[in-house]
Amino acid sequence: MKRFNLLLCLLALAPAFTATAQTVASSSVQPRRYPFVNYTEVGGLFGRVVSGNAGAELVQNRLSLTAQTLNGIQVSKRLAVGALVAVDWYQSALLMPVGAGLRFQLTRPSSARNVRVLATADAGYALNWLNKSSSGYAVKGGLMLNPGIGLAFGKPGAGSFLLSLSYKRQTAEVEKPIRPNEIMRDESRVYNRLALRLGISF
Amino acid sequence: MNRLLYFVPALMLALLPSACTDKCTETRVFKRFTSVVFTAAQIRQPVTTEPVRTLQEPGKIYTKDGFLFINELKQGIHVIDNRNPDAPKMVAFIRIPGNGDMAVRDNILYADSYMDLVALDISDVTNVRPVKRVNNIFPSGQFNGGYWYINSQTGDVQDQRVDYVKEEVRTDCGEGIGPTNNWGGNWLAFDSRSMASASSTGATQQPSNGTAGSMARFALYDKYLYTVNSSELQLFDIQNPADPKIGNKISMAWGIETIFPYGDKLFIGSQSGMFIYDNKNPQKPERLSVFQHARVCDPVVVHGDKAYVTLRSGNTCQGFTNQLDVVDISNLLGPKLIKSYPMRNPHGLGIDFPNLFICEGAYGLKSFDATDVNNIDKNLREHIEDMNAYDVIPLGKSLLMIGRDGFYQYDYSNPRKLRLMSKIPVQRPGVIS
Repeated sequence: MKRFNLLLCLLALAPAFTATAQTVASSSVQPRRYPFVNYTEVGGLFGRVVSGNAGAELVQNRLSLTAQTLNGIQVSKRLAVGALVAVDWYQSALLMPVGAGLRFQLTRPSSARNVRVLATADAGYALNWLNKSSSGYAVKGGLMLNPGIGLAFGKPGAGSFLLSLSYKRQTAEVEKPIRPNEIMRDESRVYNRLALRLGISF
Repeated sequence: MNRLLYFVPALMLALLPSACTDKCTETRVFKRFTSVVFTAAQIRQPVTTEPVRTLQEPGKIYTKDGFLFINELKQGIHVIDNRNPDAPKMVAFIRIPGNGDMAVRDNILYADSYMDLVALDISDVTNVRPVKRVNNIFPSGQFNGGYWYINSQTGDVQDQRVDYVKEEVRTDCGEGIGPTNNWGGNWLAFDSRSMASASSTGATQQPSNGTAGSMARFALYDKYLYTVNSSELQLFDIQNPADPKIGNKISMAWGIETIFPYGDKLFIGSQSGMFIYDNKNPQKPERLSVFQHARVCDPVVVHGDKAYVTLRSGNTCQGFTNQLDVVDISNLLGPKLIKSYPMRNPHGLGIDFPNLFICEGAYGLKSFDATDVNNIDKNLREHIEDMNAYDVIPLGKSLLMIGRDGFYQYDYSNPRKLRLMSKIPVQRPGVIS
């Protein structure tokens, strides 16, 4: 829990760090070589699930809330890297992926261009700190991969609005309560979702 | 190049149907029951000593004087020379149809054989000699979750064979909507349990008893052998160990599973609670109290004024509780729950205070420090996974553990790092996929 609180504090302070960095950058004669960047997005994870045996399949569409923030540095005009924390609220699992991500500007940098195309790639491991399971269930997080593409609207060097479309793959393992006649019962989950997010960056 | 990039979203959308489908697979292993019938003549074939054989479906364990007895479910008993725990040596196999429980006093081994109790002279374990059979004393029972009973019209035993079936099913990635194969029938529970040694019972005589695991249905105390079936406590007078005589029968609640003698008390594990019996009059134990809980199975062990009860689902009890209950029994007339700790699927347990060992079935063996009863979960010393653990007997330094995978023997001198001393593997019935 202490780790969780520390993480929340860091997340809460992240914009302050960024703002401080920008202030320092603007007031200094020498701009920072690697300015801080922040990409914060919220959106939905779209997908579906097919359950049951052949001949008795049940298909259900799924939409889950997702939010994430990436704080890092701009290592070049095109490339930014950073650490990310996300929250993905699946139907029966509230996962918190932590990991690293990059944002690469595909379009040629230009001061006249107000719309930029970004390639995004995130990877990490999901923690279950926020999750609360029903009695007898226990969710353990797993690997997360999230490559995609996005658009940034705004003047270069200033804040931008983001629109991104990505594929998100999240694994998880679930302990399930053992029922009559059973001696073992576990579930392996792979969430395959299309992530559509809106956000801001600065 | 840039134009190509604009096709990426379209490509992603095109792949949506196949790529954006959650894949959740539930893997479960369950028991499948098939009815079988045995005639009394088949069951009452002479008990014989046979050459050693591999473990196939081990049940309860029992130890005495450096020898280990492992029940082969419904087949008989493996006799193992365990005087060198690093290299146990299988000595013989005693064929006893319908056997699930055992107890040893002096050189007499008591074993059930479906409806009968047999007494065997094991002075020479390579040539076991039957000395008495008490017929039709057990009307029904269960092995590994499969019930058996005597057909009163034919005299045959109607039993159930158990197969293990592994199944993988796609789920909806949610809770509580798993696939359900309604196999019906009954299930689980071949239990084995601990007999009190003479030193722990404080018996005035000097009989030499063995030690059983926490899942036993047989117990020795004073000059009596106690056996429990699903609803009764059946006593046998074994003042002359070679000549067990039918004693009192005491009706109990339904769902009795295990018996654990401690001092002059009997702790009975049942599907509805833990019963405490006063055994000051060993001929006629009297109920003192009951500690009730959800309808699950519960072996129990005791140390001092604390009882440790594991509740598990996944068996005939039909419950959905998996936990360790620590119960204050300082007032035997009013046992009180101190604290419950969630577990995965606890089966047998053993305590050599402060070391508490809990078998988690298919999820391995856990070693706890039980010194602080309010923080046992925070004092997990080791969790050995990737093995099946059914029951344990801590013997002061070495830990005997039986599971579907085999018989394991650990040195727990360092409870944080159990050292495997030896293992006798199981060649178990295949899991049907």
